[in-house]
Amino acid sequence: MSEGSSNAPVRSNQKTLRKQLLGWLFWPLLTLWSVSSVIDYDIANRFVNLAYDRLLLESALDIGRQVKVLQDRVYVDLPEIAVQMLQSRESGRLYYLVTGPRNEYVTGEPDLPPPPDPFSERVNYYDDNYHGRPVRIVTLRLPLETGKTESMVMVQVAENRAARNEFATQILARMVLPQLLLIVLAGLMLWFAVGRGLAPLETLRREVESRSHRDLSALPIEETPQEVRPLIRAMNELLERLSLALAAQQRFIADAAHQLRTPIAGLKTQTELALRQTPSGDAHATLKQLRSATEQTTHLVNQLLSLARAEPSGGRAQVTQRLDLHTLARSATTDWVPRALERKLDLGFDTDSERIEIDADPLLLREMLNNLLDNAIRYTQPGGQVTVRVGYEGSRPRLSVEDNGPGIPETERNRVFERFYRVLGTGAEGCGLGLAIVREIAQSHGAEVKLTTALEGTGTTVHVIFPQAEEAPERVRAAHPAPA
Amino acid sequence: MRILIVEDDPVLADGLTRSLKHADYAVDCSTSGIDADHVLAAQSYDLVILDLGLPGIDGFEVLRRLRRRASAVPVLVLTARDALIDRVKGLDLGADDYMIKPFDLPELEARVRALIRRGQSGGASVLTHGSLVLDTAGRRATLSGEPLDLSARELGVLEVLMMRSGRVVNKEQLAEQLYGWDEEVGPNAIEVYVHRLRRKLEPAGVSIRTIRGLGYLLEKETHV
Repeated sequence: MSEGSSNAPVRSNQKTLRKQLLGWLFWPLLTLWSVSSVIDYDIANRFVNLAYDRLLLESALDIGRQVKVLQDRVYVDLPEIAVQMLQSRESGRLYYLVTGPRNEYVTGEPDLPPPPDPFSERVNYYDDNYHGRPVRIVTLRLPLETGKTESMVMVQVAENRAARNEFATQILARMVLPQLLLIVLAGLMLWFAVGRGLAPLETLRREVESRSHRDLSALPIEETPQEVRPLIRAMNELLERLSLALAAQQRFIADAAHQLRTPIAGLKTQTELALRQTPSGDAHATLKQLRSATEQTTHLVNQLLSLARAEPSGGRAQVTQRLDLHTLARSATTDWVPRALERKLDLGFDTDSERIEIDADPLLLREMLNNLLDNAIRYTQPGGQVTVRVGYEGSRPRLSVEDNGPGIPETERNRVFERFYRVLGTGAEGCGLGLAIVREIAQSHGAEVKLTTALEGTGTTVHVIFPQAEEAPERVRAAHPAPA
Repeated sequence: MRILIVEDDPVLADGLTRSLKHADYAVDCSTSGIDADHVLAAQSYDLVILDLGLPGIDGFEVLRRLRRRASAVPVLVLTARDALIDRVKGLDLGADDYMIKPFDLPELEARVRALIRRGQSGGASVLTHGSLVLDTAGRRATLSGEPLDLSARELGVLEVLMMRSGRVVNKEQLAEQLYGWDEEVGPNAIEVYVHRLRRKLEPAGVSIRTIRGLGYLLEKETHV
């Protein structure tokens, strides 16, 4: 049951190295930053309060110095200019209240909030609200000059907190924002660094992705980070084991086919001799059947070998060279003329291009054409026509083998490329490997195989369309020398 | 005519021996490389049919030792392997012909005849095709004994076709054979000569077939 879920795409859980690294870096940094911001705010507040409180106390002391007693009446001698200064300070207006020893109102704002608790210290700071705004208030107790104990005057000065809050915020911002910027920069740098660091892996991915199933050569290990080398080495070891196993399998097929050839040769020779010695009758008919069965076995063995050769790691490396498709196709077709005449077929060759350059392995290409011709000649009824054409489809070289035989039904066109698949009711003695070999060889050349029906509506045309031969600059220059 | 068959598979060796004995050859058979080497050193043969995959020393080695003794006996190599390298190696070592198993018995018999003939005469100067006979040395052709009236170029075309009887000859090969190096000739001229040859040969049932896009072919005698 876990099988199914592991196959299902789980996008949200997809872990990229980049995301993981960013996650590991980002969340701890962000947490640290938050904690440090809280601490920074606390420190900033403390120092701002300290500074502003000191200024507030100065104002209270200033007022306190002006408290006078006249005939047992307390009064404050504040010049008008001083009052104006208190009320129009840059950092916000100050409110004050002076209360006499018997708690009587002396001067200032009568509705200033009283201190929270009775207290004995000379100076006391507290926070409160005044006219709906948060304020900081300092309360100062001053002994009166009357000499009587317990006769104290209380001076209160209040100030809006807004100014100091703003100052604290400014300090905090100057401390915290650069840190935040640093974290974002670190994240960006990490993002790019991971990208750069993983670039060799990306190259490797493209290399693996663009490979054909035939290419089992080792992956390049140079220029990969030390950390991924063990992975590449392990993959290369796997590839090597795989190609060894494949080669062993190919060798086995090839060896088996070779081993079969000698006994079949004996069987064929003896059957032929027996036929000559048995002029007619039932035994003659039996021997003819035996001969045709031997022919079929021979064909099968040859095709198995051909397939083993066409497959990757089939014993020999593919030798790609620049060659002329026209010459090769004409030569291969010529070899099949006697066989076509034997079967009373009209085999021909047609082209409209004198030279068709392709990059291919000449042996494999011939093998492919042999299989196409063998199929066409085998399945076309006597009196029929088989034509090999070479030319271009757009700019891509094309090889076609066209016959007017029974044709391949539309529904079976994909299946005929499978190994040992044979179209029913053709009555011919094929083994069903021909088109499998053709496809194998076409694939190894990056060529495309197409099946179509001729215009007249009967027969089969197999097209093999090759990739355009790569431009060879020195060849072009040699062919068209620059005008002197 | 004495033939040595070197083949370790008893069924195939027996079949070959009997087939060649029917054709009135004297046939000896050897089943191992060492045995074959000894026999070849002691006896002289007109042809050796040599299998490459032999126990003990293989066919290549037998061939190498044979040629080292400066024997010119024609050798027809049989092999179960068809790798190109094997074929080239065999021919390099001095094999005269090469057949891949399993082969057609009539074809093997034809090649045996050709090899023995070549060993005898060192190349025939008279080509025959049914009732058609061409004397390449005397530059004359006869059809059922009657002399044929052919121009030198028609004779040249016929010679190439007869030398490659049953196989396709393309126009380039014909032109090359006919005209040497200084004279330029188009494919149309070839068509004209082939056309004239056909007119003269067809009454006797010898036909030159046109193979579309490939060339011409002198059809095998059908009455065999």
